[in-house]
Amino acid sequence: MRYKLLTVDDSKTVRIIVQKAFKLYDCEVLEAYNGVEGLALASKEAPDVILLDVTMPVMDGIEMLTKLKSDPMLKSIPVVMLTAEGGKDSVVKVAKIGVRDFIVKPFKEDLLVQKVGRIIDLKPITDIPMKARSVFDPANLLIVEDKPAIFNQIQEGLKHTPWNMQCVSTTGEAIDACGRSTVDLMMISLSLPEESAFTLFRVLRANLKTKYTPIFGLVVKTDVAAQQLAQQVGFTGLATKPLDMSELEAKISRAMNLDTSERYFRNQDDVLVMTLPENCGLAVMNEVATHLKSKISEAVDSGISKAVFNLQEVRRLDMNLIKFLLSAMQTCREVSLHFSLVGSGAIVSECRAYEDTRSWHFYETLDEARASFQTI
Amino acid sequence: MPAIQDIPETVFQDTVQKAVQRVFSTMLSRSAVLEPGNSLTPPDATELENPHVVGTVGFIGSINGLIYLYLEVPFAQECAAHLLGMNAAQLAKAGDEAVNDAIGEITNMTVGTFKNQLSDRGFPCRLTIPSILRCSRISVKPMSSAIRRIYRFKIGSHILTADLLMQTGE
Repeated sequence: MRYKLLTVDDSKTVRIIVQKAFKLYDCEVLEAYNGVEGLALASKEAPDVILLDVTMPVMDGIEMLTKLKSDPMLKSIPVVMLTAEGGKDSVVKVAKIGVRDFIVKPFKEDLLVQKVGRIIDLKPITDIPMKARSVFDPANLLIVEDKPAIFNQIQEGLKHTPWNMQCVSTTGEAIDACGRSTVDLMMISLSLPEESAFTLFRVLRANLKTKYTPIFGLVVKTDVAAQQLAQQVGFTGLATKPLDMSELEAKISRAMNLDTSERYFRNQDDVLVMTLPENCGLAVMNEVATHLKSKISEAVDSGISKAVFNLQEVRRLDMNLIKFLLSAMQTCREVSLHFSLVGSGAIVSECRAYEDTRSWHFYETLDEARASFQTI
Repeated sequence: MPAIQDIPETVFQDTVQKAVQRVFSTMLSRSAVLEPGNSLTPPDATELENPHVVGTVGFIGSINGLIYLYLEVPFAQECAAHLLGMNAAQLAKAGDEAVNDAIGEITNMTVGTFKNQLSDRGFPCRLTIPSILRCSRISVKPMSSAIRRIYRFKIGSHILTADLLMQTGE
């Protein structure tokens, strides 16, 4: 649902500042120049919140507020006063008529968003819809950890990603960092002194900007109590130490709702190439499997009739991988997609050891596999 | 309620200083430093050597008054661009009207903060709608019953002049 905000102010500057403040949120900002226009727009558009100035020509904010509150159709619309009239007398007078909040100019845009966010459930919007974000897009990760060795390990383990990683060691620095820029995902060490990780988590969830930011708890595998507490308070997930970096990367991708299919599937000219990574653990196999059918369907839809399963980087064959490949081959057959396999000598040798894979034919290179289709 | 003449000079100075500093730090992320000098000296019209944008907002109540804020045009443009989130080209396209409106709002906020402090000290008053002058030479002559204070603030490399005219009201 897209919320509507109505700003009633004779200053175009203020109306622009309000537009600017909410442009990153999923809401529409309507503008009125004075109380008369404000009442008319309120009746027509039924906004979810009204931001109202006091000193305006034609009809001032006090008169508009009085009329609004005496109209049965409009009186329930929450009003936030946004005015330079901030003396005690003015505030008391307005409060008696009935307002939800009062902001005295000058004001920070953040304060405005924060106060409105207490009335409506403002959600941030991004230029690129979350579903469309890919693992190859940059993202900002903030790690709150007082042990440099852990940050170094994360940085090293994720250095092949386009993600920008920043480490801070205190909760104060974390809050400052979140205020300065948009953080796409956070990891907080649950062993920070005095359970400050949980305090920080609550602060972040109370802040509109970080309300929906995925937050992972960094915790030692054996610290079950901290893990349970993190789950209870609502951490998005846990990253247990010692860290398994490929597992962590998969978790981060899922939490940020990134499209990981491009990591494994690419259309190269008229061929769909599925490339499996060196380490094909269960998590990776599950991830590839979730994309398999849709990627094959997309390829067939776009006129592609050939596929290559590239196992050149795969270190070893196990039953999960074999089952996955058998399933992939079956899917290809169902849609009449010709396929071939590429693999190293080691993989070819391993295949000979199993009944199901003994007959598989591997090409040494991608080019050879592509060339093989010409004989079809 | 004390008469306006009984209000110590330091109260005006502290009040206007707090107002200017709060507005410029909150809205424009700039610090304003009060320049030393005699606030009783009226500005000589010839001091305005360059084109200025002058914002004016009044307040009416137990004290009636007007505050003028003088900004040189480039400074006014800089403030407007920051406030509106525009670059120089966008501001040029928006025209003088956008700059006038922005300076009007800065003046409104400054005078509002000033008069809210007076209200809380027992001098309730309300604001008037801002107006803007653009000029190279200006001479303001208050009535003899009015008291006048002038304060100058250094904001980066620019000077902001605040001219206060007040008299006891209703």
